[in-house]
Amino acid sequence: MSATLSSYEAIVGSAVIRQLRQLGEKLAGTRIVHVNSTREGGGVAEILEWMTPLMMELGLKATWEVIHGSGRFFEITKSIHNGLQGYPVSISGKDWKVYEDVNARNFERLRPILEEADIVFIHDPQPAHLLRLCERRKGKWIWRAHIDISHPHHPVWKSLRPVVEGYDASIFSMPEFARSLRHPQFLVPPSIDPLSEKNRDLDPGEVEEVRAEFGLDPSRPLLVQISRFDRFKDPVGVVAAYRMVRKVAPVQLVLAGGAATDDPEGKEILEEVLEAAGNDPDIHVLLLPHDSHKTVNALQRLATIILQKSTREGFGLTVTEGMWKGKPVIGGDVGGIRLQVVNHHTGFLVNTPEGAAHRIRYLLHHRDSIDLMGETAREFVRENFLLTRHIREYLTLMLVTLRPTQGNVIEV
Amino acid sequence: MTPFEVKDCALLTRMSGLPPALNLRELRERIAVCGENVLFHHFCETPLRGTFDNPDYRNDFAVWSKLYLGDRVLGERLGILDPYAFPSLGDLRAATLEVLDERLSELTMIPWARPGDEFFFSEATTVVFSAGIRFTQPSRLGAFIRKMTNGSVYFHFLEARRRPPLGRDDFTAWLMEDEEANRPYIQALASIDFYFHTLVHLRRELGRVLNEVKVAK
Repeated sequence: MSATLSSYEAIVGSAVIRQLRQLGEKLAGTRIVHVNSTREGGGVAEILEWMTPLMMELGLKATWEVIHGSGRFFEITKSIHNGLQGYPVSISGKDWKVYEDVNARNFERLRPILEEADIVFIHDPQPAHLLRLCERRKGKWIWRAHIDISHPHHPVWKSLRPVVEGYDASIFSMPEFARSLRHPQFLVPPSIDPLSEKNRDLDPGEVEEVRAEFGLDPSRPLLVQISRFDRFKDPVGVVAAYRMVRKVAPVQLVLAGGAATDDPEGKEILEEVLEAAGNDPDIHVLLLPHDSHKTVNALQRLATIILQKSTREGFGLTVTEGMWKGKPVIGGDVGGIRLQVVNHHTGFLVNTPEGAAHRIRYLLHHRDSIDLMGETAREFVRENFLLTRHIREYLTLMLVTLRPTQGNVIEV
Repeated sequence: MTPFEVKDCALLTRMSGLPPALNLRELRERIAVCGENVLFHHFCETPLRGTFDNPDYRNDFAVWSKLYLGDRVLGERLGILDPYAFPSLGDLRAATLEVLDERLSELTMIPWARPGDEFFFSEATTVVFSAGIRFTQPSRLGAFIRKMTNGSVYFHFLEARRRPPLGRDDFTAWLMEDEEANRPYIQALASIDFYFHTLVHLRRELGRVLNEVKVAK
C-alpha cells in the first residue's frame, strides 16, 4: 500500500506538504494518464508506483497504464533504447513495423482513456508511437525521456524524431540529455521515495539478516554497486577496480541487480560479470528478483562505500538511493551522477577502474570523510531529490501546460 | 498595518533554445544575445533548482568556467558578481560581458570545454500562488518565516527585488508601512548578505536575526 502525503511530513516538513496540496487544488479533477512499458523493474516503474496514488490524493484523476508486448517487441525497444543512448544498433524496417503494430494493439485497448485525458505522459520510447494513433485526442501529450538521448545513433533518432516532435512538449532529466526539438523541453530531474521499501529506515535486525543471508563479513569494508546488469553500468570495470583495491585492503564487493521484463540483454552481461568475478569468495554477484527492495535497501546500508561506475547514465537513481542512506558515492563522471556527486563533498567522480580504485583507497584511509560526506549526501537528497520536489515540478508543469502564458510568471 | 499575505512559488525550468556554448567565446556571444530571463535564471534562480548547492559559486557561469573551462581566474571574477547589486538585468549583462571581454583579452588561447561539458542555457517559468497564510504583527515575522517553504523565502526575499519597489524585499516593503516602529527589524533584514546563502540557510538566518530583535525589544 502506498504512503499518503501526510506520512512524508516527518521527513520534509509540513510546509512542503502544504505547498503540494495548494498546487493540487488548482488542478483538482484534471485527468492524467501515465503510460510506460513495464510495471516492475527499473526506475520509471518505481517512480510511477508512488506518483500515481499521490497525484490522486492531491485531487487529480491520475491513472497508470502499461503497454503489453511480445518478447520480440521488447528486444526491439531495448535496441531503440540503446540506440538513443548512442550504442550502434541495427533496427530493420520490419522491426519498426513490429514496434508500430504493438503500439497499435495497445492503443485499441487504451483508446478511451487516452482520448479523454487532459494530459498524457508517455514515458520513454516504447509507447511513444501511441500519439500518432490518437487522432481524436483532447488533451496535451508530453513525452518523458528518462534516458540520455544527446548523442543518439543517427538511424534510430532519424526514425523516432518525427514521432517525438509531434508531442506538445517533452521532459528531460537534465539539459545534457536533451535534443533540439520544436516544442518546449522542460527539465525535471527524477527522485526517490524515502518511505518505499527500498529507502525506508530499517531495523538493525533487518539489516543483519541480509548480511547473514549473503555471508558478508561485518569486520571488513564493503563496496556495493546496485544496478541492472547493463553494459553502460560497467560492472566488469567495477570488478577490475575491486581487484586493484583488494591487493592492499581486505574489501568485499557486492554487485546486485534485478532483471527488468523489458531488458533481454541483461543475461548476457550477467554472464560476463560472473566470468570476471571467477571464484573469488569476496565478490558477490546477486541477480535479485524484481521485488527485492528491502534487500537492496539493506545492502546499501551495509555498504562502506557505494559505487556507480557507469560509462553512460540516465539520472542514476541508485546514486540518489545510496546518498539517502548516508553513504559517499564513487560514480562515473557521466550523466546525472554529476548532478549529485561532487568531489570531496558527496563522493568522487571517476572515469576509469583505476580512478575508482584510487578513490576507494582514499576513503578507506580517511574514515572520517566517509561519515561527513555521507551526511552531506543525505541532506542534499532531502532538499533536492525526494519525491515531494518531483511532484511539485509535475504539478507546476501541468499548470504551465494547461494555462499557457506569454510571460515567465504565472499567478494561479 | 495591512496583513502580510504569504505567497509561494514553484519553478519549472526549460531549455532556452539557444545553442550550447563549448568555449569562452561562445559563452560571451550567447550571453550577449540571450533573453533577460535566461540571464536571471543562471544568476538568480539557482537556489530553487534541484542541483547541487555548489560550495564555490552561486551562479552557473562561474561554476562552469571553473569546472569545465578549467579557468579558475574567470570563475573567481564571475563568482563575485552579485546580480542584486545591479539596477537592472541589462546592467548585470553589461558587467558580465565586461568580465568576459577582459578575460578574453588576457588569454592567448580560448579555453574549451570537452564535448559533453557544454554550457546549456536554460530559463524558467515561475508559478506563484497563495500559501494561505496571513499575519499582521511584525514581531511574528521571524516565526512565520521559519515555517515557510523555500519557494516562499525565495519569492518574498529574493525574487521580490526585481518587482516594484525595485531592489527591496517584500518583508522590508511591508515593515516600512510603519518605518519608525519597525526600524530594528528593517535593519536586521538589511544586515544579511543574502546572495551567498542557500535557501535553507537563508530561512534560518532570517529567523535568527528577527528573533534577536524581538528578544532585544
